[in-house]
This record gives sequence, structure tokens and C-alpha cells, in this order.
Amino acid sequence: MGLRMKPAVAGQENAVLNRQAKIKVKPFTKEAFVIRTTLISLVLLTVYGFFTFDYKDASLVGGTLSMLRNFGVMFFEPHFSHFTFWEAVYQVLITLGLAVLTTLLGGIAALLLGLLAAQNLTNKTVSNIVKGVIAFIRAVPTVLWVLIFAVAAGLGSVAAVIGMTFHSVGYLTKAYSESFEEMDNGIIEALKASGARWWQIIFQAVIPASIRYIVSWTFLRFEINFGVAVAMGAAAGAGGIGFDLFMASGFYFDLREVGTITYFILTVAILLEMTAMRIKKKLKTA
Amino acid sequence: MTALLEVKDVSKQYGSDTLALANISFSVKEGEFVSVIGPSGAGKSTLLRCINRMIDASSGTITFDGVNVPTLNKRELRRLRTKIGMIFQHYNLVNRLSVMENVLHGRLGFKSTVAGALGIYTEAEKQQAVEILSILGLSEQMYKRCDQLSGGQKQRVGIGRALLQNPKMLLCDEPIASLDPNASKIIMDHLQNISSSMGITVLINLHQVEIALKYSDRIIGVSRGEVVYNGSPDKMTNEDIVRIYGSEAETLMIDVGDKDVGDKNAG
Ligand SMILES: Nc1ncnc2c1ncn2[C@@H]1O[C@H](COP(=O)(O)OP(=O)(O)OP(=O)(O)O)[C@@H](O)[C@H]1O
Ligand SMILES: [Mg+2]
Repeated sequence: MGLRMKPAVAGQENAVLNRQAKIKVKPFTKEAFVIRTTLISLVLLTVYGFFTFDYKDASLVGGTLSMLRNFGVMFFEPHFSHFTFWEAVYQVLITLGLAVLTTLLGGIAALLLGLLAAQNLTNKTVSNIVKGVIAFIRAVPTVLWVLIFAVAAGLGSVAAVIGMTFHSVGYLTKAYSESFEEMDNGIIEALKASGARWWQIIFQAVIPASIRYIVSWTFLRFEINFGVAVAMGAAAGAGGIGFDLFMASGFYFDLREVGTITYFILTVAILLEMTAMRIKKKLKTA
Repeated sequence: MTALLEVKDVSKQYGSDTLALANISFSVKEGEFVSVIGPSGAGKSTLLRCINRMIDASSGTITFDGVNVPTLNKRELRRLRTKIGMIFQHYNLVNRLSVMENVLHGRLGFKSTVAGALGIYTEAEKQQAVEILSILGLSEQMYKRCDQLSGGQKQRVGIGRALLQNPKMLLCDEPIASLDPNASKIIMDHLQNISSSMGITVLINLHQVEIALKYSDRIIGVSRGEVVYNGSPDKMTNEDIVRIYGSEAETLMIDVGDKDVGDKNAG
């Protein structure tokens, strides 16, 4: 009652009361509510899924044990039966070649498209059109692009190269154009004011200013493309180590050979990662 | 001396409600050192950029070196821009490139697309770059990367780049606003030297009135997009400064002759 008669004091008291209750760090918004509901439903669905799986009488313990046993065979007793060491190296090189080729082709096309997509280098219309097309290309997964091109080129290396290149273009164009847009527009303004042409500004300012991003994005895409190239060897018959992996696992059921191949792929992946780190370090200082 | 630059009734409207420049008129003679002063948002940067058409004026005529600027086509505009060097508050250098490469960028407007894009310069151009760097006291920094330079050194590289254009005029948009007093003095002395010994016209936006008074042949005061003072620094009075800066003048604390402006608090 007293509160209603002295609203000013009531407000103060409320504030004090709120202090004593828990202080919220974030306001509770509609957005937060949606995110939380989604997460909780996902958790519930996962739990529900585990209980309703058809396990075909495989017990969790037995299944895990035999999986570990298989892993043991795979990784501790690797051997060569259908190919030699040097043949495996050759196949890895083919897979790497596929990754290099698609990254390179994709990178060159993406550089051009990235320049057109950057709003500070072209105009809004061109930028929006390019960005729209690129977003569409990116939304379709790489494997699907390969399968789409397989309709015309037949399942094989040609479809793999075109499909992988296609998706690389989508990915790299976005990455490049965003690095271009992030650069200091003052530099572009300065060269424009000195009478320089568009291409001169691109080569003398835009690319030098964003070379670090260009290289690291390209390398990241190269690593992705290596993984995809392995998968494409198996799924699209593009050859390389992926095809051997497919044959060893799905055709010969040779776990030991799968282990060998996995070691090969792992080695290359680690080497790639190390090279990438080296290059980035060099770019930072040079 | 004839007028190198003639600005007549120039207006610039941003969107529908911001009138950045309202019927500005003035002229600059060859070799003159002219400062543009005015409060923040007065339209100084806009005015400078209308002259080399980094911004297109909404109306009015601008004549530079006998050509009518607003009607130039793309190619003629590039030619015009090679004759006008521009210097910026934030230097606007390509940090990853060397001092030499940045200075040589001043030649891009004169080169074929391919030679410029690949950064192929003639011996004569490189020779001139070396000479200019030595005038600016940067001989030792020639092959340093620009991100290793101090602010004052960076601005000197910016000046070098503009000078390599062999310009008739320099447009300077607050070239010392990010520098300490020492570096500022070095930059201003270089600009004055350039103006007097090379005969290059200088049009400079400044925040600091004292510096404008000290270095300029003439001062143009801009307030809310209009020219409210146009005359020699000696004739500038407190009233003029109040007219330019409005109520801000009191916080400026400037000495004009023996009268003090805004010394109410300074005592
Ligand atoms: N690109 C733009 N779009 C819309 N309005 C702008 C734009 N650039 C400047 N303006 C407006 O035009 C007016 C003049 O701006 P300008 O940058 O020329 O002022 P200034 O005198 O250089 O100020 P400062 O001393 O702060 O640099 C300001 O009111 C500003 O808000
Ligand atoms: Mg400004």
C-alpha cells in the first residue's frame, strides 16, 4: 500500500530488490529463446534417437570392442597386398594433383570474380549479381556438383575436376572478395587520385594489401580439396589413393591395407598443414 | 601570376538533406600556399575532393590549368589527376610495399596499364624517386617496408608519391592531424619548401589555426559549406575566427597579433 503512495521510493526499492535477485548479463530476447529451444529439442531428439535405434542385437560393449580390434588390425598391422609402396606414393600424387589442379583453376577464376564481387572495386549492382551467383554455387555441396557434371562428362576424373573447381570458385570468391572489401579504401582513393587505372590499382595496391588473406584462404581450400579428392577417387572414380581406399575397404575387405592408405593420407595432411604454417609465418614477416 | 584554380559557385549535396558545400567561390594563383580552415564538418574534405573529382560537385564550375573540370571524360580526368598530387591524413600507403615502390606509384598515371600493373619503371623515373626521397630525408629508408616507418616518415613518403607526379598543385587533407608537433613541423616545412622552391601550388586543409597563420600566403575560412573568410593571414582578426569557428572559437585559444581569442579560461 505504502508503495503505491510513494512511487518514486517504490521504484528505488524495486531496483534494490532486483539487485538482490540474480543479475542478468544478457537481456532475454526472442532470439535467445529460439536458440535455446532449438538446442534443447536437438538434445532431446538425440537421446530419443539412441533409445529407438534398431541395434540388431549388437551390444554396445561388444560392438566397441570389435571396432577397437578392427582399428588395431588396421593401424598396427598395415601391409601392402594389392599395390607396392611406390605405387601408393604415385596414387597419392595423383590425388594431390587433383587437389592442386582444382584449387589453381578455382583460385584464378575466383580472383577475377572476387574483384568483381568486392563492392569497393566495382559498383553495387555488379557486386550483388556476382555475390548472388556465387552464393548459389556455394550452397550446393562439392559432391553434388561432381555428380551434376557427371551427367555430361560421365563419372570420372573430368567430372571430378570440373565439379571440384566449381565449388572452389564459389568458396574462394567469397573469401577473396571479403578480404578485398576489408582493405583500407584510402589506399585505393590515393592511387585513383594520382590518375592510376583500375588494373594498376588492383595489382599495385589491392593484391599486395590482401596477399596474406589470399594465400591462407587458398591453402585452406587446397587442404579441403585434398580431402574431397580422396573422397572423389572413391565416389566418382576419379582415381588416386581414394580409389585404392575404396577397393581395399569395399571390395577386398582388406583392413590392413586400409590402414596403410590411411597412414599415407594422414602423412600428406600433416605435411600440408606444416607447409601452410610455414608459408603464413613467412608472409607475416616478409 | 595567373589563376591556376578557379572555383565558382560550387555546391555539393549529399543525399537530400546534407548540403556540404553551398555556392563556394575562390581562386588560387600559381605557386600560392593556401590553407582552408574551418570546424569539423564544414566541408573542407568535400571541397578538396571536388577539385580532382574524387567527389562530383552537384553544381558550379571548376577550372584548373585552363580546363573545365566537371565536363571531363574518364580519360581526360585521369590526365587532370596526374597534374594534381594528393596527400592524406592517414597517408594511404600500401604498407606491405617498400618506400621506393610507394613513391613510384606516383608514376602510375603516366604509364601503360601493363607496365604500371607490373610495376615496371624507367631508370629516369627511379632516378627521380631517389632524388625526391633524398630531399625528403628518406634516403636511408628507401627499401624499408612502409609499415616499419613512423607517422612522420610515412607522410613524407606520401608527399614523395605526390611529387613524383610532377604535379602543378598539391591537395593536402589534414596532413598533420595524426602527427605530433615535431613531425608536424617537419611536414609543414617540407610543404612550404616545395611550394617556394618548386613553385608548386599548395591547397591544404588544416585543423590548427596557428599553423595556417604561420605558413599560408592566404587563408580561406569555411563554415557550414560557405566561404566566410578569404584573405591574407595578417589581416585575420578575432571576429573572423569567431565567424569561422562559431562558438568553438573560444576553445581554440589562438593568438592573432596581440589580441587573444578564447583566452577567457587561459588567463
Ligand atoms: N559520403 C558522404 N555522405 C553523406 N554525407 C557526407 C559524406 N561525406 C561528408 N558528408 C557530410 O558533409 C559534410 C562535410 O563533410 P566533410 O568531410 O567535407 O567535412 P570536413 O570539413 O572535412 O570535416 P573534418 O574536419 O571533420 O574532416 C558533413 O556534414 C558530413 O557529414
Ligand atoms: Mg575532413
